[in-house]
Amino acid sequence: MFRNNYDNDSVTFSPQGRIFQVEYAAEAVKQGSVVVGIASNTHAVLVAIKRNAEELSSYQKKLFPIDEHVGIAIAGLTSDARVLSNFMKQQCLGHRLTYGRSMPVRTLVEMIGSKAQINTQHYGKRPYGVGLLVAGVDDQGPHLFEFQPSGMTEEMVAFAIGARSQMARTYLEKNLDKFADCGREELIRHGLRALKESLVQDRELTVDNTSVGVAGLVASDQDGTTKVEPFTVYDQQEVSAWIDSVADDKEGGASAAEGEGGTMEVDS
Amino acid sequence: MTSIGTGYDLANSIFSPDGRNFQVEYAVKAVENGGTSIGIRCKDGVVLAVEKIVTSKLLKPNANKRIATVDRHLGVVYSGMIPDGRHFIDRARDEARAWRDTFKTPISTADLASRMGGYMQAYTLYQSVRPFGITAIIGGFDSTDEPRVDGEVGTGPSCGAGGKVAGKTHGGPFLYMIEPSGLYWGYYGAATGKGRQAAKAELEKLDLGGPGGPSLTLEEAVKEAARIIYVAHDDSKDKEFELEMTWISGPDGPTKGLHQEVPKALREEAERLAKKAQEDDEDDEEEDVEGKEKMEE
Amino acid sequence: MDHRPQAWGRPRDDVYGAYDASYLQTSGPKTATQSPVVTGTSVIAIKFRDGVVMAADNLASYGSLARFTDVKRLRPFLSTSVVGFGGDVSDMQFLDRHLTELAIDESYEHEHSENPAKSQLNAANLHKYLSKLMYRRRNDFDPLWNQILVAGFDSSSKPFLASVDLRGTTFTSPSLASGFGAMLAQPIMRRYAATEEDAARLSREEAVNVVKECMKVLFYRDARSLDRYSIAVVTKDGVELSEDEQLEKQSWAFAERIRGYGTQTV
Repeated sequence: MFRNNYDNDSVTFSPQGRIFQVEYAAEAVKQGSVVVGIASNTHAVLVAIKRNAEELSSYQKKLFPIDEHVGIAIAGLTSDARVLSNFMKQQCLGHRLTYGRSMPVRTLVEMIGSKAQINTQHYGKRPYGVGLLVAGVDDQGPHLFEFQPSGMTEEMVAFAIGARSQMARTYLEKNLDKFADCGREELIRHGLRALKESLVQDRELTVDNTSVGVAGLVASDQDGTTKVEPFTVYDQQEVSAWIDSVADDKEGGASAAEGEGGTMEVDS
Repeated sequence: MTSIGTGYDLANSIFSPDGRNFQVEYAVKAVENGGTSIGIRCKDGVVLAVEKIVTSKLLKPNANKRIATVDRHLGVVYSGMIPDGRHFIDRARDEARAWRDTFKTPISTADLASRMGGYMQAYTLYQSVRPFGITAIIGGFDSTDEPRVDGEVGTGPSCGAGGKVAGKTHGGPFLYMIEPSGLYWGYYGAATGKGRQAAKAELEKLDLGGPGGPSLTLEEAVKEAARIIYVAHDDSKDKEFELEMTWISGPDGPTKGLHQEVPKALREEAERLAKKAQEDDEDDEEEDVEGKEKMEE
Repeated sequence: MDHRPQAWGRPRDDVYGAYDASYLQTSGPKTATQSPVVTGTSVIAIKFRDGVVMAADNLASYGSLARFTDVKRLRPFLSTSVVGFGGDVSDMQFLDRHLTELAIDESYEHEHSENPAKSQLNAANLHKYLSKLMYRRRNDFDPLWNQILVAGFDSSSKPFLASVDLRGTTFTSPSLASGFGAMLAQPIMRRYAATEEDAARLSREEAVNVVKECMKVLFYRDARSLDRYSIAVVTKDGVELSEDEQLEKQSWAFAERIRGYGTQTV
């Protein structure tokens, strides 16, 4: 095999202006199990497939609350994610303490972006081997961001990262126009359907391997102001009703909710 | 090109026998793959524009901005590796803040360009870092009034020692472009990124230099900027793109000395004209072809 | 006469005795600000139905000397809040520069928001920040010698008024006054707005009149005050700041009845 001289560290450009170490780190994200995120006008949801190392071991958590209004989904090296997650938690708490308000989601995401970029420009450091979906609500409404090991952060309407996530993204692209006006439950179901697209043959969503996280803005009845529905992670029996509600989609061909299920089959 | 295989291109800050730093040249390659950015310095301000390639349908439209404000009166746009650009902007903002802390007045465009040129250059000096994979364009409007002192509470003497100097002029619009090597120049019109060749050719047609200064007004510059980005994009026949534009006028102009996004209505009008100009161009070409065919007949 | 250079410019020992060099000693506890130098006097503010009115005169005193007479002590923040400063003027200038930087940082965060006004730091956030800053400085034994009033709106868009002082003490009330104003203006303002409910019934015009009346009383009785002042009205539409107001319709008739000062003996 041709020996690549330019891929030993993240401080060396290839003659084409690429940094292979950063690209390899992006590959680590694809090793992680798939996570999906979607934002509507009122909610931001994250759904994830959890994996267990062996039959008798527990499942690795994929969704983590950061602050009252933000949560993340991770794909890649879990221990790298913990570093970022701790950092984000500290920043959010600090912001709350000094200003008495929740940190704007974009500000938070750009902070980890800057942090990650440093690792791609200095010798002896390595890029983070994890990708994140950051979902949250702030004064500007619900948001979904993608974070990559390169330090790239982008706001998305919906996105999926991790193993076989292309199939989930295809589903999301097809249903893109529906998300904005989706209610909370329908948004979660869209997330689960996207997740199912990325499952390997014969695997199914179960209460053990599925996580759902939701943050939202709820209009309160009294004065027309909106209240934050704090980011909450749902596991085990809490997700069973949602799993059941999308259970027939695949076998039935036509989706129970929208009837777009049949056409989706083509891509997977 | 004698870079690959010589070993002189495997680390930053290494000179090759003919005096080149290949890692810096490779960083320039990263810039040349990025979406086109341009800056136009006109009579009454500066316009910045960037072509943002839409890499995924799932991106939230118009939510991911690439042109950033530094202090209040400066704008930065860049082509190349976007996270490197964020780093550049973070640093530029730190520099602007440090300048205010020291001198109690906003940093001028030239001084920011100098500081950031020095910063970029420092990343070509050591094997422990890599150069920035961006070329940045800095536009700004330095206050045409006598610079205010931050925190001043009253008015000083109106004349004499420590007072005003009659007839003295200050500030104006400025434009600089900084390359990965740290090299920077002041420009009348600047372009970088994938479509820079086509963009430069278009910029050169505009009346930006000359002894009397540019005659182009801000609004005209906005429309030219949009057109140039469309021309530069057309040249590369890439995927879909979003156009982002910002401008900075003097205190009497539309942005009152601040760096701001071009209002949606004006941007859309500029885009409409840009598309129209493009279609007209294509029609002309077709006519030319027909004409030639007729001649041959 | 001692002509050696080291004696130049110094009081002659033979006339004044040996110079007490202990003044110049650098040992002993490190000290920061022990007292303010150039100072501004009262700041007063009162809430009304749609916002808050704040006022402070334009004087900066150097002890009892009326040193600067065009000093603007009300500062708008992000055109949604007003900060009024009493106490040390140089510390005020430091804080003003600091708030300028804070406002710039804040605009970075929201420059691309569709509706920046919704998520920018409001007066309540700003007051929280200033209170942390002042308390931190007090714990460093290097206080910023000010009393600060912050006016604007809170996160639920209700009029907001609160104060913080050099010790980091915070306080909120329908009307607030610092310095001499706490003694002289506060009782007058409470007559009009003792409770939040009272304040919510006040019109803008009434609130402005109360504040102007208070500024007049303060000028009558506070020797470190001036008849030129700044007044700011914060409403949802923004900040209206007038920095060169003149006290009108003064009447010094009451002075005739004051006894016990100056040359009067009866």
